[in-house]
Amino acid sequence: MTASLVEQDTARPTRTAAPLGRLLAAEVRWVLRRPRTLVMLGLFALIPIVIAIGIVIADRQMGGGLIGAVAGNGLVLPIAALTLSLTLLLPLAVTMSAADAIAGEAAHGTLRGLLLAPVGRLRLVGVKAFGVLVVAFLAVLVISVVGVVAGSLIVGGGGDVVTLSGTTLGMGEALGRVALVAVWVVGQLAAVGAVALAISSLTEHPLVVLASVLGGLIVFGVLGAIPALDWLQPWLLTSGWAGAADALRDPLPLGGLGESTLRALCYVAIGLGFTAIRMQRRDA
Amino acid sequence: MSLSSPADLGTAPAATSSAAGAVSLAARAVGLRKVYGRTVAVEGIDLDVPTGSVLGMLGPNGSGKTTLIRMLLGLTRPSAGTAELLGSAVPEAAASALPHVGALVEGPGFHPFLSGRENLRRAAAAEPLLASAAIPGAVGSALERVGLTHAADRRFRGYSLGMKQRLGLAGALLVPRKLVVLDEPTNGLDPSGTRDVRRIIGELHAGGATVIVSSHLLAEVEATCTHVAVLQSGSLVAAGELRSLLDAGTGGLVVATPDVDLALTTLRDAGATAFRDAGDEPAVVVSDGPEAPEIVALLVRAGVAVHEARRRRPRLEELFAQLTEGSS
Repeated sequence: MTASLVEQDTARPTRTAAPLGRLLAAEVRWVLRRPRTLVMLGLFALIPIVIAIGIVIADRQMGGGLIGAVAGNGLVLPIAALTLSLTLLLPLAVTMSAADAIAGEAAHGTLRGLLLAPVGRLRLVGVKAFGVLVVAFLAVLVISVVGVVAGSLIVGGGGDVVTLSGTTLGMGEALGRVALVAVWVVGQLAAVGAVALAISSLTEHPLVVLASVLGGLIVFGVLGAIPALDWLQPWLLTSGWAGAADALRDPLPLGGLGESTLRALCYVAIGLGFTAIRMQRRDA
Repeated sequence: MSLSSPADLGTAPAATSSAAGAVSLAARAVGLRKVYGRTVAVEGIDLDVPTGSVLGMLGPNGSGKTTLIRMLLGLTRPSAGTAELLGSAVPEAAASALPHVGALVEGPGFHPFLSGRENLRRAAAAEPLLASAAIPGAVGSALERVGLTHAADRRFRGYSLGMKQRLGLAGALLVPRKLVVLDEPTNGLDPSGTRDVRRIIGELHAGGATVIVSSHLLAEVEATCTHVAVLQSGSLVAAGELRSLLDAGTGGLVVATPDVDLALTTLRDAGATAFRDAGDEPAVVVSDGPEAPEIVALLVRAGVAVHEARRRRPRLEELFAQLTEGSS
């Protein structure tokens, strides 16, 4: 009887991995069922609304810069909200989900279950990276969509946008600029997420991930502000983060956005590479 | 290597060829060793787990049971030695064996914000052998099997220790398995939960699956296991079929007699080790000395009334105590 069982097995090779689509769907479902993810996305929806209300109340008392440009210029609101959130809130959200993705799963003992299922270790890194990217994408989407709606309804200014260069863009082109900034922000967040995943693969304490990534971003910001250290600028992820305002110039200068995107992709490659190597040897 | 009893699991003659080994062994450790810093957690363990057996892994806290199980499952890399699971090398080829292996290691791991059912569905999504359409059914029947259907849709956060343990057990039973590894499955379970675990192990055994169960409840192991492996400070001190280990144990001979004192002096004069039996009936226990017929003849010649003489089979508890105390 044993022999016949064994023959059956060799004749029909069994699956050694669950379908990738099912794994990704399960990961996204897990990410979206997590209460903190939902609360976070809800709070992100409030950001553009709060800025819009503030601008209406302040009634053009704002100075220059992005926030000032929002006044009477509704479609600038999503860009301003994204830029503002990128300094800390969006990286916080992405880091939190990356911390939960590996360190959090290890702390709950569920990482063990996934590895025993088995989910290949390399595949697991891919699935986790996808989950983090989904959070980044959704957070940016929420800010952008609510920003566009709140911008048109609360701030007003019609469909046209007056650029920082003084020209006027039609509604279609203005929305294109918003989309461009949104995609660029997702790219920057992917870099943060990849680094956070790398740290997440080193520990089973999610707080360690949160503290090190946010601490790192603050250090980057400080280093970037010291003129004597300006040779460091090309290496710092944060140095291009004020560049979203470029999207409001006419004609559109792509140099700054392109350079920071390239830098972000380097961070993604290094972060994910490190995570993959580390996960190969990690005890669970 | 410290094993020389005839019941040694490692003496399967066919185990030398790897193909034959794949047929007869569900799990195998060869010289497994794990060192954490300066602490040796597992010290050169050779263990063969025959297909279809129920192996009870015994040992005091910190004796290396969980580390050994983790190395067998590929969760921890051994410092030296090799492990095999269903004929595949671990961790290199573990992917081909693990779909057939269910495990509950180091307590149940689940997410507190999901219900028991949702947690199992997430685990099931990662199971290679489950078709997507079969997942809800598999989850439902696993929950029923561990008696958790009534609480399936409550959040894991609110589960009692025993319910968490049952859910962990359900996770190991999502797919029909060839090997099920249960690390302390009765932790936190009430008596009915313990009975359920015993029933489930029995069902798995009857279905031809191999079960490795680590436990500190010796009565449980004695009731459910066909084989045992006893660990002590990271080393394997005994392994083999439960029955032959118990038979080979130093149980000695029990002689029921009203003349206990006379019997004791007679036996000690003859060079045997004998002591008063702790039981209710007056009797002596001869744990070392001449063969049984000689002992009886000796006693009868000395005028001791021998009512009964029987070989004493030690309980697992005594055997365990002898094994783990003797070598420490």
